[in-house]
Parts: sequence; C-alpha cells; structure tokens
Amino acid sequence: MANQEVANKVRGAIDSLKSSNVRERPLVEVLELSHQLADAMKFFFGSLDQTIQGEFRYIADFISKARDEIAELCPNEIREERIPGASVELDAVVKDTEQATETIMTEAETLLCADHSDADAYKAQVDDAMMRIIEACSFQDLTGQRVNKVVSTLRHIEERVEQFSKALGVKDADRQESAEEKRQREQLLNGPAVGGPETKQDDIDALFAEAGDDVSQDDIDSLFS
Amino acid sequence: MAVDLAMPVLVVDDYKTMIRIITNLLKQLGFENIDDAADGKEALAKMQENSYGLVISDWNMEPMTGYELLREVRADDKLKTTPFIMVTAESKTENVIAAKKAGVNNYIVKPFNAATLKGKITAVLGDF
Repeated sequence: MANQEVANKVRGAIDSLKSSNVRERPLVEVLELSHQLADAMKFFFGSLDQTIQGEFRYIADFISKARDEIAELCPNEIREERIPGASVELDAVVKDTEQATETIMTEAETLLCADHSDADAYKAQVDDAMMRIIEACSFQDLTGQRVNKVVSTLRHIEERVEQFSKALGVKDADRQESAEEKRQREQLLNGPAVGGPETKQDDIDALFAEAGDDVSQDDIDSLFS
Repeated sequence: MAVDLAMPVLVVDDYKTMIRIITNLLKQLGFENIDDAADGKEALAKMQENSYGLVISDWNMEPMTGYELLREVRADDKLKTTPFIMVTAESKTENVIAAKKAGVNNYIVKPFNAATLKGKITAVLGDF
C-alpha cells in the first residue's frame, strides 16, 4: 500500500468518525471504524520503519565499504612502517651528504693551506687528499638508493589514497591556508627550482644593470672602447 | 677606490656548509675578517653590535628570512647604507624584483662559482 493510499484511508476513517454522531451509532460500528484506523496506522508506521531501516542499511553498507577501503589502505602499515622508514632514509641522506661534504671540504681546505715548498711531498699530499675526496663521493650511490626507497613509499601512499578517494567519490574540500603556508607565501619562500634556476644569473644581472645602480668594470670599459 | 680587504664581512646562512663555502671563497679573494650568522635575527643583532662593510645573505632562513633582514637593514638609519648581496636558491623573478625593490645591491642565484661571487662583490664594492 502506497503512503498516499494509507494517508487517504486514515483521513477517511477520521472524517467518518467526525461526521457520525457517535452516541447514535451502534458500538459495533464505532469499534469497526477504530479497527480500520488502527490497521491503517499500523501499516503506515510499518512502512515508515521500512524506509528508515533502508536508510540505515544503506549507511551501514557505506560505512562497511569505507572500512574495507580504509583497511586496504593499510593505514597502520603506512603509519608504523613506511613513513618512519622513509623518515629514517631521509635522515640518513642528510647525514651521508653532510659527512661527505665535511670530508671533501676539509681535504680542500687542508690543501689550500698546505706547505708546497717540497714539491714531491706536496704532490704526495695532494694525491692522498684526492683519493679521499674520490672515496667520499661514494655517498652519491648510497643516497641515490635511499632516495629511491623514499620515492617508492610516496608512490605507494599516492596510489592507495587515489584508490580510496575514487572508491568513496571523495572531492577536495576548500582548505584554509595554514600559518606556515601564509608565511612562506608572504616571504616568497619558493625554494630551489627543479632543473636549475628559474631565472638565470645572466637575466638577474641584466635586471640589475638596467636599473643602473650597479656598473661593472665591463660597462665602464665599454664606455672607453 | 680599492676595496679594503680587512673590512668585516658578515655571511648569513642557516647551512654551515654554505657559510664554510662562502667563507673559503672570500678568503681566497683576500678578505681576512669574516663573521657569520645562522639567520636574519642573529645577523641583525650582530650588525647592531658591529660595523660590517658587506653582508652576504641567504634568503630562506627562520625565524628571520634574508628578505626580512634586508628590509630591517634598509629601514635602520645606522645600517641602511651597508652593501648587501643576496645569495640564494630562490630564483623566481618575483624574488629578484622584491629584493631589488627592498634595496639589495646584487643577487646571486645558487649554485654559484667563485668568479660569480667575485664579479658581484666587484660590482657592489669596486675592484679589488
């Protein structure tokens, strides 16, 4: 029975009760009308319950599906293994590059200050220092491998998040700029460009030369040539 | 006028390696009196205590960036004529223009070499 039909039946029963003089009607008729009303209401509430149950079932299915999708993300594995692992690798990259830079800089500084009065001794010192510099450059192989592991972790997370987002039809919400992002924007903190400087040194030089504040020797020379 | 190689130079960078690189290059160029600071705030405090003939500063540092340091320096009557060279990985045109407007004397984009550093110091201070 459709909702509209139920509502009509209930309305009919109420109208019938209102229009009849209850005192003059036999009790049997009143009871019959009451039964009709009770049946109609019972069906109405039953159908109402089914609609709500359907809604709840849909929500429960959605939550269950979302839980399955989240489980497939392996959030615990990402939080407990992959992200800490990537963090350790990046720390090691910083440490390795620092160590290599320290070695190379120290060797170079030592050579700059070295006594070169004895040519043979100086050559031997230079040769030793060069070998240590070459050895120190092996950091590049190790850091390359470490960075590849971090990139692989990021790719894994990216894939899982994309899969999750597609499965649940998630759209990006409007996001408030954080205080840190605001400062970075205001202070023009863009960081190094990928693939070399965005504005080449020659173009920067041209900008300063155009402004006329800085006159290099070449500019002066060009006036006298 | 010849550059006074004994004048104090302040190198500002939050990476010790970069301070070491610039210090070595400056020493090779003949500068003898080189001081350093790890960010703009420390640099400004040092500039208020000592007089420097040249400041070579990175941009991206916290809590005070090189850009903020430059603006503070140019707004301070006592410090505003200090020659200031920005040495930074920030290579967007907007950065170069902002620094120029704030009164930077020259701008070097990282990575750079000794010849570039010498060229810009020459452009700012004269031959040496």
